[in-house]
Amino acid sequence: MTENRRYRLTAIAVTLPTLMSATAFEAGASEPGLPQLDIATWPSQLFWLVVLFGVGYLVMAKMVTPRIGAVLEKRRQTLDGDLEKARTASSDAAKTRAEYESDLEKARNNAAEFAKQAAMEATKKAEAADAKVARKLADKVASAEAALAKAKTEALANLNDVAAEAAIDAVAALAGIKTTSSQASKTASSIATKLAKQGAN
Amino acid sequence: MSNSEGMHSPVAQFEIKPLVELSLGGYDVSFTNSSLFMLLAIGVSSIFLISAMRRADMVPGRMQGMAEMIYEFVAEMVRSNVGSEGRPYFPFIFTLFVFLLFGNMLGLIPYSYTFTSQIIVTFAMAAFVFVGVTIIALYKHGLHFFSFFVPAGAPKVLIPFLIVIEVISYFVRPVSLSVRLFANMLAGHTMLKVFAGLAVMISGAGGLAMAGSLLPFVALIGLTGLEVLVAALQAYVFTILTCMYLNDALHLH
Repeated sequence: MTENRRYRLTAIAVTLPTLMSATAFEAGASEPGLPQLDIATWPSQLFWLVVLFGVGYLVMAKMVTPRIGAVLEKRRQTLDGDLEKARTASSDAAKTRAEYESDLEKARNNAAEFAKQAAMEATKKAEAADAKVARKLADKVASAEAALAKAKTEALANLNDVAAEAAIDAVAALAGIKTTSSQASKTASSIATKLAKQGAN
Repeated sequence: MSNSEGMHSPVAQFEIKPLVELSLGGYDVSFTNSSLFMLLAIGVSSIFLISAMRRADMVPGRMQGMAEMIYEFVAEMVRSNVGSEGRPYFPFIFTLFVFLLFGNMLGLIPYSYTFTSQIIVTFAMAAFVFVGVTIIALYKHGLHFFSFFVPAGAPKVLIPFLIVIEVISYFVRPVSLSVRLFANMLAGHTMLKVFAGLAVMISGAGGLAMAGSLLPFVALIGLTGLEVLVAALQAYVFTILTCMYLNDALHLH
């Protein structure tokens, strides 16, 4: 590669000073210069760089990145789907609970209504029974009072007769006068009327 | 390539060695150690990412979790830096990140090769990104794209000066993008080789001096850890800057 020595010299001339320290190592070497600056090797390096990087690009673009990307995307979707499912399940549970609670409330209300009605009915029945018993009692009282009044008048009527007879007997015994019962009765009733008038006054 | 002590030059590790001689249109396109590790970076990452997702479980296992983590990491980077308009470019950004991450990491295995330590490789990728985002910007915004170089709200007197600065900073992008990765890999691997070489050289002295080789050896272990960090970080930096350039192209500030 000695025919490239002049190319190498120009290459060294344009290389940055950073290489200065590295070139110092060349002192002991039989062939001076950095191997990197031997431009005879450049076509081969460029050729294989283009070929191999090109192949690498095709492998990465067609096989590697779509595959990893698909796996990551699938994982992301699975996670999102699972989260969505969990969210739906949670909202379903909340809905079911709300339904259950409203049902329970309804049942409670129904029961209260039912109890109220039953109480009302029972009260009504009791009142009706009470009224019936009261009516019966009133009837009984009334008939008893009527019977009592009848008995009183009867007794009063009988009292006149008894009084008359007693008077007849008393007159006969005391004065020896025999009176008829009708006469006695008349006198007795007039006396009774007089007494009654006095009693009334 | 070896000096009198039998110690290799720390930059000998960057040598390109043809494994299969090939030629195309007069150009030498031999399959080299660099090409082999490009192939390994693509092959290992593809096999890992495909086999990890083989079962495509809803609950990922360890391997699938790692594959998904890389995917989510890049997807989040594109989402937060470019927005939803960056979706069509996601496979490219993903390939870029995986290619660089696996390239850098495989390069840390002893006796392997780090193709990201080749300026031509990092520059070709940076230039592709630069040309790509410029075409996207021109396609999307037409001539309005050039308003990108005029900072909004700047004093009129300063505008010509600022345009020059903006244009320079725009065209420096592929250079800084490629040199950042290349220089990090170059410096890191050179440093590892220097410390490893030092440990071997001191231990070669024999006797009590051998104990002295512990010092560079311990330093080497620490540096290797640091280089693992740098390998991941530089793959991330290259990718996130690509996202930012793409965002500029799509949204013009």
